[in-house]
Order: sequence, then C-alpha cells, then structure tokens
Amino acid sequence: MSYDLQFFYVWQNLDKLGQGLVVSLELTGLANLIGLTLGFGVALLLRAKSALLRAPAAAMVEVFRCTPVLVQVVWFFYCVPILFNLFIDPMVMGVLALGVNLAAFNAEGYRAAIQSVPREQYDACAALGLTGWTRIRHVILPHALRAALPVLMTNGITIFQQSALVALVAIPDLMYAGKMLATETYRPIETYTVVAAIYFAISAPVSLIVQRIEARFDRVQA
Amino acid sequence: MAQDKLLKIHNLHKSYGDLEIFKGLTLSMDRGDRLVIIGPSGGGKSTLLRIVMGLEDIVGGDIYMDGKPYILRDGAKTKIDRKLQARVGMVFQHYTLFPHLDILRNLTLAPVKTRGMSRAEAEEKAMGLLTRFGLDAKARAYPSQLSGGQKQRVAIARALMLDPDLLLFDEVTSALDPELVAEVEAVMMELAEAGMPMMIVTHDMHFARNIASRVVFAAGGVVVEDGPPEQVLDAPQVARTREFVERVFAKKR
Repeated sequence: MSYDLQFFYVWQNLDKLGQGLVVSLELTGLANLIGLTLGFGVALLLRAKSALLRAPAAAMVEVFRCTPVLVQVVWFFYCVPILFNLFIDPMVMGVLALGVNLAAFNAEGYRAAIQSVPREQYDACAALGLTGWTRIRHVILPHALRAALPVLMTNGITIFQQSALVALVAIPDLMYAGKMLATETYRPIETYTVVAAIYFAISAPVSLIVQRIEARFDRVQA
Repeated sequence: MAQDKLLKIHNLHKSYGDLEIFKGLTLSMDRGDRLVIIGPSGGGKSTLLRIVMGLEDIVGGDIYMDGKPYILRDGAKTKIDRKLQARVGMVFQHYTLFPHLDILRNLTLAPVKTRGMSRAEAEEKAMGLLTRFGLDAKARAYPSQLSGGQKQRVAIARALMLDPDLLLFDEVTSALDPELVAEVEAVMMELAEAGMPMMIVTHDMHFARNIASRVVFAAGGVVVEDGPPEQVLDAPQVARTREFVERVFAKKR
C-alpha cells in the first residue's frame, strides 16, 4: 500500500474534535443522569406487586433492549416531532433518546441487583426489627447499589460510544466533527483513527475501573 | 403472671406445600431454660426457630410469650405481635452481618433506628459488648475482614444490643472451621451462665450436653422426648430417641 499517512491536518484541527468531544461528553453525562434516575424508577416498577405497574415497565425495557439504538435515535428524531407535533432542540432529543435507552438497560441492572440481595439479609432485618423504609434505605439499597455499580458504569460508558450515532442526525458531537474534518481535509483514515483513539482513551479507563471494582467485590463477599 | 411460661408453643402446625413439618408440636420453656433442640435433618428444627422469630407463616396453633398471645393463626393469616417479636433475638448459621457497614455500625443500626437510642449511647453499649467478646479492636473493621468465628461473635453481640428476653441460635457453628467453633461456643456458655434464656439448634452433641438445661428431641412433626440432657442424651426413655442418639454418637466415633 502506498498511502502516505499525514496526521498534520488532524493535529491542526484538533480543537474542532475537542468541541465535538465536549458535546459527546455532555450527551453522555445527561443521558446517564436520566438513565440512573429513570432506570431506578423503572426497576421499582418492575418489582411492583401490581401487574398494572409491572407490565408497562417490562414493555419499555423490552422495546429498548430489542431494537437497535440507531433505529431508536432516528425514530426519536423523525417520528416524535411528527407524531406529537412538537419540535425540540436536536440536542435535547439526542439526550432523551440515549437517556431513555440507558434507563431501560439500567432498570434491568438495578432489578437484578435488588434480586441478588440474599434472603438472609431480609431475615436479619426482621430479627432486628428493621422494617419498611429503614430496611430499604439502610440495608437493601446499599447492598443492591454496590452490586449494580459495575453494570451501571458499563452501561454508562457504552452510551458514550453509542452517542456517536447521533452524528447521523446532525448533532455536532465527536463523530460529527470527525466526519466534517474528514471531508474537509480529504484525510478520512487519519481523522477516523484519531476519533477512534479518543473514544478508546475515554472508555478504556472506565472499563478498567469496573474490572477493579468487580475483583474487589469478589473478595469482599461477607 | 409469675408462673406464666416465657414461651409456650401449643399445637403448632406448619407445612411447605404438601410437606408437613409440624403436626401439632407442643413445647414450652421457662425463663431459666436453655433448650437444645435435636432431631433428624429435615425435621424442622431450624423452621421451629424461624417460626418463633416470626419469620415464617404457620398453618395452625398458637404461641404465647409471658402468657400473652404472640403468634396466632387467624383465619387465613398468621398474626404476629410485633412488640413481643422485638423481645426475641436470633443468630443465624451464616452470620448475616450487613457487609456494607463496619462492625460498630452493624451493632448500632437497629437500636438507633428502631429503639430510638442515641448514636452515642448505642456506640457505648456496642463497645461494651465488643470488649466483652474480645472484639473491640475490630469495631471499625468490615465483616469481610473478620474470620467466621469473629463474625459469629459479632452477630451474637448485634442480637444482644436489643436486650432480647429470648435468644435463638440456628446452627451457629455449622459453617465454621473446626478450630473456630470453640470461641463461639465459649461466648454462648458465657451468656448461659449469665442466665440468658436460649433456644439452640446444634449438631454438636457434646456442646448440647454442656449448655442445655433441657434437650428436646423433635421428629415426625412433634416433640418425641423432652428432658434434662442426662436423660435425653444418655438414657433416653423413648425408643425413637434412643435410636437417634445411638446413631449420632456412633457416627462421632
């Protein structure tokens, strides 16, 4: 292959990629805010006694888990405005699409974590007279949240990678900035390589931290 | 009131689906009693403790504490008096400490949250108990940093924080390595000497003989024999008990 790699133009325009990265991080942060809170609410619904509460929550989780994120993003952008006759800022739309998707995955993570609290912990609570909210707040939740943490972090950083999909609907994120730069400079190989490296540089440490936490939990089973 | 039994279990029925665990079990204990319950595995020894702790539904019968109705079968529901339940404490086979709290907080959580004890008061009491059990140096450690024997002693201290009138021990040394059993049994002996009423399920017949004021042999859903350890373990009156005891001691040798 006689292609001559020229990273010069990419370095020169690194600030543009930087601006894109800021948008990607904003999307990720806000989506996680929705994912962590809404996801918890959905998880509680999934565990509700009444099927009337359980069914819609379960339906939501399945819909988001069983359709491609790309389709979800596109659907939010093109169908929501038409169906509901409202136009919202693309950025808000992107945050909503990614956030609700993340909520569905996190709900599953929370639910599994609550389920993983050993029955013996409930027995211990009953024997000590710890009931109701005290039991949830001081025993069940701390237990469950620790169990859920690796999953929530993995889901959260996955959304950072998935956020690249919103470039398709012209949100100026890292991927979009990369696309623009590649066209401008005629240097797609260099540009997309750098873009990939940036995604990797942000995701890899988080993934490492998750591995550390999991290893620690394995040791700390009381 | 004075002659009311600490605990009176009358005609207890319990089943899991089609499996009948208790078929009219009747048993009572006085304040000075330390009951050790023995019997074939699957005979419901642990279930009996769980029922007395208020962790299980019952199918029929009633349980009185100090002459007051504690657990009753009322129509389709098991009714448990929560005030009386609070006077019973339980130590489990697998310690069941709260892994996210340090030892001190494991002890203070319940008294602070359910008895309205101040944090300072609870901590003082907890430190007193931990010192008594030789665990004061571990107050700020987490359960995962303790040995099984230490965890179980913490679990006993945690139960004592609520000043129970009756303490239940469900095979508390079964999960321990043999060399750690003694330290837990020593704590239980100490409580026994201090006059704590206890109901104990154990497979350790030697320990049973030492700690029990009465041994109860339960099998087939009822109490088969009930008497002092010298009787039930050494000279059982009922053939079925004799058979069981002989088998258990033969296995030991």
